[in-house]
Amino acid sequence: MSDTSHIRYTLKKSGTTLFLYIIMLFVFLISVFPVLWVVMSSFKDNSAILSSPFSLPERFDFTPFVQVFTQYNFGMYTINSLVIASVATIVSLMIYSMGAYSIAKFRFPGKNLFYLLFTLTLLVPPHTKAQPIFSLITSLGLSDTRLALIFVYISFGMAISMFVMRVSFMSIPDSLNEAAFIEGASFWRVYWSIDLPLAKTGLATSGIMMFLGNWNEYFYAMLLTSSPQVRTLPLALAFFTEAFSYDYTQMFAALTIVILPGIIMYIITQEQVQASVASTGVKG
Amino acid sequence: MLCVYGTEHFYKLQGENKLTINRIERKYVPFAYAFLIPTIAVFLLFYLIPIVTVVFTSFTRWDGFNTPVFNGLTNYLRFFSQSSFLISLRNLLLWSLIAATLHVGFGVLVAFILFQKPKGWKAVRGVYMIPNIVSSAAMAMIFRFMFNNDFGFLNSMIRLVSPSFQVNWFFESPWAFIAITLTWLFYGAIITLIVLGDLMSIPSDLHDAARIDGATGFQAVLHIQLPLCRYAIGTSIILSITSRIAMYEAIALTTRGGPGDDTMNIPIILVKAITDFNYGLANAAAVFMFLMGIFTLWIVNRLFRMNNPIY
Repeated sequence: MSDTSHIRYTLKKSGTTLFLYIIMLFVFLISVFPVLWVVMSSFKDNSAILSSPFSLPERFDFTPFVQVFTQYNFGMYTINSLVIASVATIVSLMIYSMGAYSIAKFRFPGKNLFYLLFTLTLLVPPHTKAQPIFSLITSLGLSDTRLALIFVYISFGMAISMFVMRVSFMSIPDSLNEAAFIEGASFWRVYWSIDLPLAKTGLATSGIMMFLGNWNEYFYAMLLTSSPQVRTLPLALAFFTEAFSYDYTQMFAALTIVILPGIIMYIITQEQVQASVASTGVKG
Repeated sequence: MLCVYGTEHFYKLQGENKLTINRIERKYVPFAYAFLIPTIAVFLLFYLIPIVTVVFTSFTRWDGFNTPVFNGLTNYLRFFSQSSFLISLRNLLLWSLIAATLHVGFGVLVAFILFQKPKGWKAVRGVYMIPNIVSSAAMAMIFRFMFNNDFGFLNSMIRLVSPSFQVNWFFESPWAFIAITLTWLFYGAIITLIVLGDLMSIPSDLHDAARIDGATGFQAVLHIQLPLCRYAIGTSIILSITSRIAMYEAIALTTRGGPGDDTMNIPIILVKAITDFNYGLANAAAVFMFLMGIFTLWIVNRLFRMNNPIY
Protein backbone atom coordinates (compact mmCIF):
# COMPACT_ATOMS: atom_id res chain seq x y z
CA MET A 1 0.00 0.00 0.00
CA SER A 2 1.52 3.31 -1.05
CA ASP A 3 1.73 6.17 1.38
CA THR A 4 -1.01 8.32 -0.12
CA SER A 5 -3.56 5.55 -0.40
CA HIS A 6 -2.76 4.56 3.16
CA ILE A 7 -3.47 8.12 4.32
CA ARG A 8 -6.66 8.20 2.28
CA TYR A 9 -7.72 4.91 3.85
CA THR A 10 -7.03 6.18 7.36
CA LEU A 11 -8.89 9.42 6.65
CA LYS A 12 -11.88 7.55 5.28
CA LYS A 13 -11.87 5.24 8.24
CA SER A 14 -11.64 8.06 10.76
CA GLY A 15 -14.39 9.86 8.83
CA THR A 16 -16.65 6.84 9.24
CA THR A 17 -15.71 6.57 12.89
CA LEU A 18 -16.51 10.24 13.40
CA PHE A 19 -19.91 9.82 11.73
CA LEU A 20 -20.54 6.77 13.91
CA TYR A 21 -19.83 8.64 17.10
CA ILE A 22 -21.83 11.71 16.05
CA ILE A 23 -24.90 9.52 15.57
CA MET A 24 -24.26 7.75 18.88
CA LEU A 25 -23.85 11.04 20.70
CA PHE A 26 -27.07 12.32 19.10
CA VAL A 27 -28.98 9.21 20.20
CA PHE A 28 -27.55 9.50 23.69
CA LEU A 29 -28.53 13.17 23.97
CA ILE A 30 -32.08 12.88 22.64
CA SER A 31 -32.68 9.96 25.00
CA VAL A 32 -31.15 11.28 28.18
CA PHE A 33 -31.51 15.01 27.87
CA PRO A 34 -35.32 15.38 28.06
CA VAL A 35 -35.44 13.39 31.29
CA LEU A 36 -32.41 15.14 32.73
CA TRP A 37 -33.85 18.54 31.85
CA VAL A 38 -37.13 17.71 33.60
CA VAL A 39 -35.38 16.49 36.75
CA MET A 40 -33.01 19.50 36.82
CA SER A 41 -35.80 21.98 36.27
CA SER A 42 -37.72 20.58 39.22
CA PHE A 43 -34.95 21.93 41.45
CA LYS A 44 -35.03 25.45 39.99
CA ASP A 45 -37.45 28.27 40.75
CA ASN A 46 -39.70 29.78 38.09
CA SER A 47 -37.34 32.61 37.18
CA ALA A 48 -34.35 30.29 36.79
CA ILE A 49 -36.40 27.99 34.56
CA LEU A 50 -37.33 30.96 32.36
CA SER A 51 -34.00 32.77 32.27
CA SER A 52 -31.41 30.01 32.22
CA PRO A 53 -32.79 26.75 30.84
CA PHE A 54 -29.35 25.14 30.49
CA SER A 55 -27.97 25.88 33.92
CA LEU A 56 -27.57 23.30 36.63
CA PRO A 57 -29.75 23.83 39.70
CA GLU A 58 -28.01 25.90 42.38
CA ARG A 59 -29.18 23.71 45.22
CA PHE A 60 -31.25 20.62 45.73
CA ASP A 61 -34.44 21.81 47.35
CA PHE A 62 -37.04 19.09 47.76
CA THR A 63 -39.83 21.45 48.89
CA PRO A 64 -41.68 21.32 45.52
CA PHE A 65 -41.72 17.52 45.74
CA VAL A 66 -43.05 17.63 49.28
CA GLN A 67 -45.68 20.15 48.19
CA VAL A 68 -46.77 18.05 45.22
CA PHE A 69 -47.02 15.00 47.47
CA THR A 70 -48.78 16.59 50.41
CA GLN A 71 -50.90 19.40 48.98
CA TYR A 72 -51.87 17.83 45.69
CA ASN A 73 -52.41 14.21 46.76
CA PHE A 74 -49.62 12.72 44.69
CA GLY A 75 -49.03 10.31 47.55
CA MET A 76 -52.48 8.86 47.03
CA TYR A 77 -52.08 8.78 43.24
CA THR A 78 -48.74 6.98 43.62
CA ILE A 79 -50.34 4.37 45.86
CA ASN A 80 -53.22 3.98 43.38
CA SER A 81 -50.79 3.48 40.50
CA LEU A 82 -48.72 1.05 42.51
CA VAL A 83 -51.69 -1.01 43.68
CA ILE A 84 -53.42 -1.10 40.29
CA ALA A 85 -50.24 -1.91 38.35
CA SER A 86 -49.05 -4.57 40.81
CA VAL A 87 -52.36 -6.38 41.26
CA ALA A 88 -52.98 -6.41 37.50
CA THR A 89 -49.46 -7.73 36.89
CA ILE A 90 -49.68 -10.49 39.49
CA VAL A 91 -53.11 -11.69 38.36
CA SER A 92 -51.95 -11.55 34.70
CA LEU A 93 -48.93 -13.67 35.56
CA MET A 94 -51.16 -16.29 37.17
CA ILE A 95 -53.68 -16.38 34.33
CA TYR A 96 -51.25 -16.26 31.41
CA SER A 97 -48.60 -18.55 32.89
CA MET A 98 -51.27 -21.26 33.04
CA GLY A 99 -52.31 -20.56 29.47
CA ALA A 100 -48.76 -20.39 28.15
CA TYR A 101 -47.83 -23.54 30.07
CA SER A 102 -50.70 -25.46 28.55
CA ILE A 103 -49.78 -24.32 25.04
CA ALA A 104 -46.05 -24.88 25.48
CA LYS A 105 -46.13 -28.30 27.10
CA PHE A 106 -49.17 -30.20 25.84
CA ARG A 107 -50.65 -31.20 22.54
CA PHE A 108 -54.38 -30.93 22.04
CA PRO A 109 -56.67 -29.98 19.18
CA GLY A 110 -56.91 -26.23 18.67
CA LYS A 111 -53.81 -25.17 20.57
CA ASN A 112 -52.27 -23.42 17.57
CA LEU A 113 -55.47 -21.53 16.94
CA PHE A 114 -55.53 -20.39 20.57
CA TYR A 115 -51.90 -19.27 20.42
CA LEU A 116 -52.54 -17.38 17.21
CA LEU A 117 -55.65 -15.67 18.59
CA PHE A 118 -53.98 -14.73 21.89
CA THR A 119 -50.95 -13.21 20.19
CA LEU A 120 -52.94 -11.46 17.48
CA THR A 121 -54.55 -9.37 20.24
CA LEU A 122 -51.39 -7.30 19.99
CA LEU A 123 -52.60 -5.93 16.68
CA VAL A 124 -55.81 -4.49 18.11
CA PRO A 125 -55.20 -0.81 18.88
CA PRO A 126 -56.39 -0.30 22.48
CA HIS A 127 -58.46 2.75 21.55
CA THR A 128 -60.66 0.85 19.12
CA LYS A 129 -62.25 -1.14 21.96
CA ALA A 130 -62.90 1.98 24.02
CA GLN A 131 -66.67 2.05 23.71
CA PRO A 132 -67.42 -1.69 24.33
CA ILE A 133 -65.04 -1.77 27.30
CA PHE A 134 -66.53 1.43 28.68
CA SER A 135 -69.98 -0.16 28.39
CA LEU A 136 -68.77 -3.48 29.84
CA ILE A 137 -67.24 -1.77 32.88
CA THR A 138 -70.37 0.34 33.38
CA SER A 139 -72.66 -2.69 33.15
CA LEU A 140 -70.51 -4.51 35.71
CA GLY A 141 -71.02 -1.53 38.00
CA LEU A 142 -67.28 -0.94 38.13
CA SER A 143 -67.00 2.50 36.56
CA ASP A 144 -64.74 4.82 38.53
CA THR A 145 -63.11 2.03 40.55
CA ARG A 146 -59.58 0.70 40.78
CA LEU A 147 -60.93 -2.73 39.93
CA ALA A 148 -62.06 -1.48 36.49
CA LEU A 149 -58.50 -0.49 35.60
CA ILE A 150 -57.12 -3.72 37.04
CA PHE A 151 -59.42 -5.75 34.78
CA VAL A 152 -58.54 -3.77 31.69
CA TYR A 153 -54.79 -3.86 32.41
CA ILE A 154 -54.93 -7.63 32.91
CA SER A 155 -56.24 -7.94 29.37
CA PHE A 156 -53.36 -5.84 27.96
CA GLY A 157 -50.66 -8.33 28.99
CA MET A 158 -52.01 -11.23 26.95
CA ALA A 159 -49.86 -11.15 23.83
CA ILE A 160 -46.53 -10.33 25.46
CA SER A 161 -47.04 -12.95 28.18
CA MET A 162 -47.83 -15.57 25.60
CA PHE A 163 -44.75 -14.69 23.54
CA VAL A 164 -42.35 -14.63 26.46
CA MET A 165 -43.69 -17.33 28.76
CA ARG A 166 -44.40 -19.91 26.07
CA VAL A 167 -40.75 -19.81 24.96
CA SER A 168 -39.70 -19.97 28.58
CA PHE A 169 -41.77 -23.08 29.32
CA MET A 170 -40.69 -24.71 26.06
CA SER A 171 -37.04 -24.43 27.05
CA ILE A 172 -37.64 -26.71 30.04
CA PRO A 173 -36.82 -30.33 29.04
CA ASP A 174 -39.95 -32.48 28.68
CA SER A 175 -38.23 -35.34 30.51
CA LEU A 176 -38.73 -33.49 33.80
CA ASN A 177 -42.51 -33.49 33.33
CA GLU A 178 -42.55 -37.09 32.19
CA ALA A 179 -40.58 -38.24 35.23
CA ALA A 180 -42.84 -36.32 37.58
CA PHE A 181 -46.01 -37.69 35.96
CA ILE A 182 -44.67 -41.25 36.19
CA GLU A 183 -43.96 -40.65 39.89
CA GLY A 184 -47.67 -39.86 40.18
CA ALA A 185 -47.50 -36.08 40.66
CA SER A 186 -50.74 -34.25 39.85
CA PHE A 187 -51.07 -31.88 36.89
CA TRP A 188 -51.22 -28.84 39.14
CA ARG A 189 -48.28 -29.96 41.22
CA VAL A 190 -46.06 -30.48 38.16
CA TYR A 191 -46.96 -27.00 36.95
CA TRP A 192 -46.60 -25.31 40.32
CA SER A 193 -43.56 -27.07 41.80
CA ILE A 194 -41.53 -28.01 38.73
CA ASP A 195 -42.21 -25.87 35.67
CA LEU A 196 -43.19 -22.55 37.21
CA PRO A 197 -39.98 -22.18 39.27
CA LEU A 198 -37.89 -23.13 36.23
CA ALA A 199 -39.65 -20.54 34.07
CA LYS A 200 -38.95 -17.70 36.48
CA THR A 201 -36.85 -15.71 33.99
CA GLY A 202 -39.78 -15.64 31.59
CA LEU A 203 -42.17 -14.78 34.40
CA ALA A 204 -39.92 -11.95 35.54
CA THR A 205 -39.53 -10.56 32.03
CA SER A 206 -43.22 -10.55 31.20
CA GLY A 207 -43.97 -9.27 34.71
CA ILE A 208 -41.63 -6.30 34.21
CA MET A 209 -43.03 -5.51 30.77
CA MET A 210 -46.62 -5.68 32.02
CA PHE A 211 -45.89 -3.61 35.11
CA LEU A 212 -44.25 -0.87 33.05
CA GLY A 213 -47.18 -0.85 30.64
CA ASN A 214 -49.70 -0.67 33.51
CA TRP A 215 -47.74 1.99 35.36
CA ASN A 216 -47.69 4.18 32.25
CA GLU A 217 -51.22 3.68 30.97
CA TYR A 218 -53.18 6.88 30.41
CA PHE A 219 -56.03 6.35 27.96
CA TYR A 220 -58.21 3.86 29.86
CA ALA A 221 -57.46 5.56 33.16
CA MET A 222 -58.89 8.72 31.60
CA LEU A 223 -61.88 6.91 30.10
CA LEU A 224 -62.90 4.77 33.08
CA THR A 225 -62.20 6.89 36.15
CA SER A 226 -63.30 10.35 37.17
CA SER A 227 -62.88 10.82 40.93
CA PRO A 228 -59.50 11.75 42.43
CA GLN A 229 -59.66 8.85 44.92
CA VAL A 230 -58.93 6.29 42.19
CA ARG A 231 -56.76 8.46 39.93
CA THR A 232 -53.43 7.07 38.70
CA LEU A 233 -50.22 9.07 38.24
CA PRO A 234 -50.25 9.65 34.44
CA LEU A 235 -53.81 10.95 34.68
CA ALA A 236 -53.02 13.04 37.76
CA LEU A 237 -50.15 14.57 35.82
CA ALA A 238 -52.44 15.62 32.99
CA PHE A 239 -54.88 17.23 35.46
CA PHE A 240 -52.08 18.88 37.39
CA THR A 241 -50.45 20.51 34.37
CA GLU A 242 -53.82 21.82 33.21
CA ALA A 243 -54.54 23.41 36.58
CA PHE A 244 -51.11 24.65 37.63
CA SER A 245 -49.48 25.64 34.38
CA TYR A 246 -48.06 28.78 36.01
CA ASP A 247 -45.99 26.96 38.64
CA TYR A 248 -43.25 25.47 36.50
CA THR A 249 -41.20 24.07 39.37
CA GLN A 250 -44.08 22.02 40.71
CA MET A 251 -45.03 20.88 37.21
CA PHE A 252 -41.52 19.56 36.68
CA ALA A 253 -41.53 18.00 40.15
CA ALA A 254 -44.81 16.22 39.36
CA LEU A 255 -43.38 15.00 36.05
CA THR A 256 -40.28 13.72 37.81
CA ILE A 257 -42.43 11.79 40.29
CA VAL A 258 -44.28 10.15 37.41
CA ILE A 259 -41.34 9.24 35.18
CA LEU A 260 -38.56 8.36 37.61
CA PRO A 261 -39.91 5.07 39.08
CA GLY A 262 -40.34 3.56 35.62
CA ILE A 263 -36.87 4.67 34.53
CA ILE A 264 -35.26 3.30 37.70
CA MET A 265 -37.08 0.02 37.21
CA TYR A 266 -35.86 -0.09 33.62
CA ILE A 267 -32.25 0.62 34.58
CA ILE A 268 -32.30 -2.26 37.08
CA THR A 269 -33.87 -4.72 34.64
CA GLN A 270 -32.61 -3.38 31.31
CA GLU A 271 -31.07 -6.64 30.10
CA GLN A 272 -34.42 -8.42 30.34
CA VAL A 273 -36.40 -5.52 28.91
CA GLN A 274 -34.05 -5.22 25.92
CA ALA A 275 -34.08 -8.95 25.25
CA SER A 276 -37.86 -8.99 25.44
CA VAL A 277 -38.27 -6.02 23.10
CA ALA A 278 -35.76 -7.49 20.65
CA SER A 279 -37.67 -10.76 20.41
CA THR A 280 -41.25 -9.48 20.55
CA GLY A 281 -41.20 -5.88 19.30
CA VAL A 282 -43.53 -4.96 22.16
CA LYS A 283 -42.68 -2.44 24.82
CA GLY A 284 -45.31 -3.58 27.30
CA MET B 1 -42.10 -11.30 16.41
CA LEU B 2 -45.65 -10.07 16.14
CA CYS B 3 -47.91 -11.66 13.59
CA VAL B 4 -45.02 -12.12 11.26
CA TYR B 5 -43.19 -14.55 13.45
CA GLY B 6 -46.53 -15.54 14.93
CA THR B 7 -47.69 -17.01 11.65
CA GLU B 8 -44.32 -18.65 11.18
CA HIS B 9 -44.67 -20.40 14.52
CA PHE B 10 -48.21 -21.23 13.57
CA TYR B 11 -47.19 -23.19 10.51
CA LYS B 12 -44.44 -24.98 12.39
CA LEU B 13 -46.85 -25.90 15.16
CA GLN B 14 -49.35 -27.27 12.67
CA GLY B 15 -46.79 -29.74 11.41
CA GLU B 16 -46.02 -30.73 14.96
CA ASN B 17 -49.65 -31.36 15.72
CA LYS B 18 -50.15 -33.83 12.91
CA LEU B 19 -48.35 -36.40 15.07
CA THR B 20 -50.86 -38.53 16.87
CA ILE B 21 -51.49 -37.71 20.48
CA ASN B 22 -50.62 -40.80 22.47
CA ARG B 23 -52.60 -42.32 25.30
CA ILE B 24 -50.56 -40.91 28.18
CA GLU B 25 -50.79 -37.46 26.69
CA ARG B 26 -54.50 -37.81 26.16
CA LYS B 27 -54.91 -38.18 29.88
CA TYR B 28 -53.70 -34.60 30.34
CA VAL B 29 -55.71 -32.98 27.59
CA PRO B 30 -58.65 -32.03 29.86
CA PHE B 31 -56.23 -30.37 32.31
CA ALA B 32 -54.50 -28.54 29.49
CA TYR B 33 -57.85 -27.14 28.40
CA ALA B 34 -58.75 -26.26 31.97
CA PHE B 35 -55.52 -24.24 32.23
CA LEU B 36 -56.54 -22.27 29.14
CA ILE B 37 -59.94 -21.29 30.55
CA PRO B 38 -58.85 -18.10 32.38
CA THR B 39 -56.96 -16.84 29.31
CA ILE B 40 -59.90 -17.69 27.07
CA ALA B 41 -62.22 -15.83 29.44
CA VAL B 42 -60.10 -12.67 29.23
CA PHE B 43 -59.88 -13.08 25.47
CA LEU B 44 -63.65 -13.35 25.10
CA LEU B 45 -64.53 -10.53 27.50
CA PHE B 46 -61.89 -8.00 26.49
CA TYR B 47 -61.13 -8.84 22.87
CA LEU B 48 -63.60 -10.98 20.96
CA ILE B 49 -66.87 -9.59 22.32
CA PRO B 50 -65.69 -5.94 22.17
CA ILE B 51 -64.46 -6.37 18.59
CA VAL B 52 -67.68 -8.04 17.48
CA THR B 53 -69.65 -5.29 19.24
CA VAL B 54 -67.56 -2.62 17.51
CA VAL B 55 -68.14 -4.12 14.08
CA PHE B 56 -71.88 -4.65 14.57
CA THR B 57 -72.72 -1.34 16.21
CA SER B 58 -70.75 0.58 13.60
CA PHE B 59 -73.81 -0.04 11.42
CA THR B 60 -76.24 1.33 14.01
CA ARG B 61 -77.30 4.57 15.62
CA TRP B 62 -76.44 4.12 19.28
CA ASP B 63 -76.00 6.37 22.30
CA GLY B 64 -75.11 3.56 24.70
CA PHE B 65 -78.39 3.76 26.65
CA ASN B 66 -81.13 2.98 24.15
CA THR B 67 -81.01 -0.12 21.97
CA PRO B 68 -78.90 0.28 18.83
CA VAL B 69 -80.92 1.03 15.70
CA PHE B 70 -79.62 -0.31 12.40
CA ASN B 71 -78.81 2.56 10.07
CA GLY B 72 -76.69 0.94 7.38
CA LEU B 73 -73.65 2.86 6.24
CA THR B 74 -74.79 6.18 7.71
CA ASN B 75 -71.98 6.27 10.31
CA TYR B 76 -69.36 5.50 7.70
CA LEU B 77 -70.70 8.11 5.31
CA ARG B 78 -70.76 10.68 8.10
CA PHE B 79 -67.28 9.69 9.25
CA PHE B 80 -65.81 9.86 5.74
CA SER B 81 -67.47 13.17 4.93
CA GLN B 82 -66.15 14.97 8.01
CA SER B 83 -63.48 17.45 7.03
CA SER B 84 -61.47 16.31 10.06
CA PHE B 85 -61.41 12.78 8.59
CA LEU B 86 -59.81 13.95 5.36
CA ILE B 87 -57.15 15.83 7.29
CA SER B 88 -56.64 12.77 9.54
CA LEU B 89 -56.18 10.61 6.49
CA ARG B 90 -53.69 13.04 4.96
CA ASN B 91 -51.79 13.19 8.27
CA LEU B 92 -51.83 9.41 8.58
CA LEU B 93 -50.45 8.99 5.06
CA LEU B 94 -47.72 11.56 5.65
CA TRP B 95 -46.81 10.20 9.07
CA SER B 96 -46.81 6.61 7.80
CA LEU B 97 -44.53 7.60 4.95
CA ILE B 98 -42.15 9.39 7.32
CA ALA B 99 -42.34 6.46 9.75
CA ALA B 100 -41.58 3.84 7.10
CA THR B 101 -38.65 5.78 5.65
CA LEU B 102 -36.93 8.26 7.98
CA HIS B 103 -38.02 6.81 11.33
CA VAL B 104 -37.32 3.15 10.50
CA GLY B 105 -34.24 4.21 8.54
CA PHE B 106 -32.82 5.99 11.54
CA GLY B 107 -33.55 3.04 13.84
CA VAL B 108 -31.85 0.68 11.38
CA LEU B 109 -28.87 3.01 11.02
CA VAL B 110 -28.40 3.07 14.78
CA ALA B 111 -28.64 -0.74 14.85
CA PHE B 112 -25.92 -1.07 12.21
CA ILE B 113 -23.74 1.40 14.07
CA LEU B 114 -24.17 -0.41 17.39
CA PHE B 115 -23.47 -3.72 15.63
CA GLN B 116 -19.92 -2.47 14.95
CA LYS B 117 -19.59 -2.50 18.76
CA PRO B 118 -17.92 0.91 19.06
CA LYS B 119 -16.89 2.02 22.53
CA GLY B 120 -19.98 2.76 24.61
CA TRP B 121 -22.43 0.89 22.37
CA LYS B 122 -24.06 -0.87 25.30
CA ALA B 123 -24.68 2.39 27.11
CA VAL B 124 -26.25 3.94 24.00
CA ARG B 125 -28.41 0.85 23.47
CA GLY B 126 -29.45 1.07 27.10
CA VAL B 127 -30.43 4.74 27.22
CA TYR B 128 -32.08 4.76 23.79
CA MET B 129 -34.93 2.74 25.28
CA ILE B 130 -35.65 5.30 28.03
CA PRO B 131 -38.06 7.51 26.01
CA ASN B 132 -40.02 4.34 25.20
CA ILE B 133 -40.11 3.31 28.85
CA VAL B 134 -41.51 6.66 30.01
CA SER B 135 -45.31 6.84 29.90
CA SER B 136 -46.45 8.23 26.57
CA ALA B 137 -48.62 10.69 28.52
CA ALA B 138 -45.59 11.94 30.47
CA MET B 139 -43.54 12.01 27.27
CA ALA B 140 -46.19 14.23 25.66
CA MET B 141 -45.91 16.61 28.64
CA ILE B 142 -42.13 16.64 28.39
CA PHE B 143 -42.37 17.59 24.74
CA ARG B 144 -44.95 20.25 25.49
CA PHE B 145 -42.51 21.77 27.97
CA MET B 146 -39.42 21.32 25.78
CA PHE B 147 -41.17 22.98 22.82
CA ASN B 148 -42.66 25.74 24.96
CA ASN B 149 -41.88 29.20 23.62
CA ASP B 150 -41.14 30.77 27.04
CA PHE B 151 -39.13 28.23 28.95
CA GLY B 152 -38.74 25.40 26.43
CA PHE B 153 -35.31 24.02 25.80
CA LEU B 154 -35.67 23.84 22.02
CA ASN B 155 -36.36 27.52 21.44
CA SER B 156 -33.70 28.57 23.93
CA MET B 157 -31.24 26.58 21.89
CA ILE B 158 -32.44 28.03 18.57
CA ARG B 159 -32.22 31.54 20.06
CA LEU B 160 -28.52 30.99 20.68
CA VAL B 161 -28.22 31.11 16.88
CA SER B 162 -31.10 33.41 15.95
CA PRO B 163 -32.09 35.50 18.97
CA SER B 164 -35.43 36.72 17.61
CA PHE B 165 -36.84 33.22 17.09
CA GLN B 166 -40.41 32.95 18.43
CA VAL B 167 -42.53 29.89 17.67
CA ASN B 168 -45.30 28.30 19.71
CA TRP B 169 -44.61 24.85 18.31
CA PHE B 170 -47.77 23.02 19.28
CA PHE B 171 -50.13 25.94 18.69
CA GLU B 172 -49.12 27.45 15.37
CA SER B 173 -49.62 26.22 11.84
CA PRO B 174 -47.57 24.67 10.20
CA TRP B 175 -45.25 24.07 13.17
CA ALA B 176 -47.68 21.85 15.09
CA PHE B 177 -47.47 19.07 12.51
CA ILE B 178 -43.67 19.20 12.61
CA ALA B 179 -43.65 19.27 16.41
CA ILE B 180 -45.87 16.16 16.64
CA THR B 181 -43.63 14.42 14.11
CA LEU B 182 -40.55 15.28 16.16
CA THR B 183 -42.05 13.64 19.26
CA TRP B 184 -41.42 10.21 17.68
CA LEU B 185 -39.21 10.69 14.63
CA PHE B 186 -35.87 9.82 16.19
CA TYR B 187 -37.14 7.54 18.93
CA GLY B 188 -36.65 4.23 17.15
CA ALA B 189 -35.25 2.14 20.01
CA ILE B 190 -37.63 -0.75 19.40
CA ILE B 191 -36.57 -0.87 15.73
CA THR B 192 -32.92 -0.73 16.75
CA LEU B 193 -33.33 -3.59 19.23
CA ILE B 194 -35.23 -5.82 16.78
CA VAL B 195 -32.75 -5.23 13.94
CA LEU B 196 -29.75 -5.55 16.23
CA GLY B 197 -31.11 -8.87 17.47
CA ASP B 198 -31.35 -10.15 13.90
CA LEU B 199 -27.88 -8.82 13.01
CA MET B 200 -26.35 -10.60 15.97
CA SER B 201 -27.96 -13.88 15.00
CA ILE B 202 -26.46 -13.88 11.49
CA PRO B 203 -24.18 -16.95 11.40
CA SER B 204 -20.57 -15.80 11.60
CA ASP B 205 -19.53 -17.95 8.62
CA LEU B 206 -21.64 -15.67 6.41
CA HIS B 207 -19.54 -12.67 7.49
CA ASP B 208 -16.36 -14.69 6.98
CA ALA B 209 -17.45 -15.84 3.52
CA ALA B 210 -18.19 -12.25 2.53
CA ARG B 211 -14.80 -11.10 3.77
CA ILE B 212 -12.99 -13.87 1.91
CA ASP B 213 -14.87 -12.96 -1.27
CA GLY B 214 -13.43 -9.47 -0.85
CA ALA B 215 -16.56 -7.61 0.24
CA THR B 216 -15.71 -4.33 1.94
CA GLY B 217 -17.62 -3.16 5.00
CA PHE B 218 -20.20 -1.21 3.06
CA GLN B 219 -20.76 -3.95 0.49
CA ALA B 220 -21.25 -6.51 3.24
CA VAL B 221 -23.86 -4.27 4.81
CA LEU B 222 -25.68 -3.66 1.54
CA HIS B 223 -25.66 -7.15 0.08
CA ILE B 224 -25.55 -9.45 3.07
CA GLN B 225 -26.61 -7.90 6.36
CA LEU B 226 -29.43 -5.68 5.11
CA PRO B 227 -31.22 -8.43 3.15
CA LEU B 228 -30.82 -10.82 6.08
CA CYS B 229 -32.61 -8.33 8.32
CA ARG B 230 -35.58 -8.27 5.99
CA TYR B 231 -38.00 -9.65 8.59
CA ALA B 232 -36.84 -7.29 11.29
CA ILE B 233 -37.10 -4.26 9.01
CA GLY B 234 -40.51 -5.33 7.71
CA THR B 235 -41.74 -5.88 11.26
CA SER B 236 -40.37 -2.47 12.25
CA ILE B 237 -42.27 -0.80 9.43
CA ILE B 238 -45.49 -2.57 10.47
CA LEU B 239 -44.95 -1.60 14.11
CA SER B 240 -44.16 2.02 13.34
CA ILE B 241 -47.10 2.50 10.98
CA THR B 242 -49.56 0.82 13.35
CA SER B 243 -48.30 3.10 16.12
CA ARG B 244 -49.06 6.08 13.87
CA ILE B 245 -52.59 4.76 13.32
CA ALA B 246 -53.09 4.41 17.09
CA MET B 247 -51.17 7.54 18.21
CA TYR B 248 -53.26 9.24 20.87
CA GLU B 249 -51.48 10.68 23.91
CA ALA B 250 -48.81 12.53 21.90
CA ILE B 251 -51.63 14.51 20.26
CA ALA B 252 -54.37 14.59 22.90
CA LEU B 253 -52.03 16.04 25.53
CA THR B 254 -50.34 18.57 23.26
CA THR B 255 -52.27 20.03 20.32
CA ARG B 256 -55.60 18.17 20.76
CA GLY B 257 -55.68 17.94 16.98
CA GLY B 258 -55.20 21.66 16.45
CA PRO B 259 -54.45 24.33 15.47
CA GLY B 260 -57.60 24.11 13.37
CA ASP B 261 -57.50 20.44 12.42
CA ASP B 262 -53.80 20.49 11.52
CA THR B 263 -52.75 17.51 13.62
CA MET B 264 -56.09 15.67 13.71
CA ASN B 265 -56.00 11.90 13.67
CA ILE B 266 -58.49 9.05 13.87
CA PRO B 267 -58.16 8.17 17.60
CA ILE B 268 -58.90 11.81 18.45
CA ILE B 269 -62.07 11.70 16.31
CA LEU B 270 -63.00 8.36 17.93
CA VAL B 271 -62.65 9.64 21.49
CA LYS B 272 -64.59 12.77 20.66
CA ALA B 273 -67.42 10.63 19.25
CA ILE B 274 -67.48 8.60 22.49
CA THR B 275 -67.70 11.70 24.65
CA ASP B 276 -70.53 12.91 22.39
CA PHE B 277 -72.33 9.57 23.06
CA ASN B 278 -72.20 8.89 19.35
CA TYR B 279 -71.10 5.29 19.74
CA GLY B 280 -72.02 4.21 16.23
CA LEU B 281 -69.72 6.81 14.73
CA ALA B 282 -66.94 6.00 17.23
CA ASN B 283 -67.10 2.35 16.27
CA ALA B 284 -67.11 3.13 12.55
CA ALA B 285 -63.83 4.98 13.19
CA ALA B 286 -62.56 1.95 15.14
CA VAL B 287 -63.41 -0.41 12.26
CA PHE B 288 -61.54 1.93 9.93
CA MET B 289 -58.51 1.71 12.24
CA PHE B 290 -58.65 -2.13 12.20
CA LEU B 291 -58.81 -2.14 8.43
CA MET B 292 -55.87 0.25 8.12
CA GLY B 293 -53.85 -2.02 10.40
CA ILE B 294 -54.69 -5.14 8.41
CA PHE B 295 -53.93 -3.32 5.16
CA THR B 296 -50.52 -2.24 6.49
CA LEU B 297 -49.76 -5.78 7.59
CA TRP B 298 -50.75 -7.23 4.24
CA ILE B 299 -48.88 -4.75 2.09
CA VAL B 300 -45.64 -4.83 4.11
CA ASN B 301 -45.80 -8.63 4.22
CA ARG B 302 -46.02 -8.68 0.44
CA LEU B 303 -43.33 -6.05 -0.12
CA PHE B 304 -40.82 -7.73 2.20
CA ARG B 305 -41.80 -11.28 1.22
CA MET B 306 -42.06 -12.00 4.89
CA ASN B 307 -43.66 -15.41 4.43
CA ASN B 308 -40.61 -16.73 2.60
CA PRO B 309 -37.79 -18.11 4.71
CA ILE B 310 -34.58 -16.05 4.87
CA TYR B 311 -31.95 -18.75 5.25
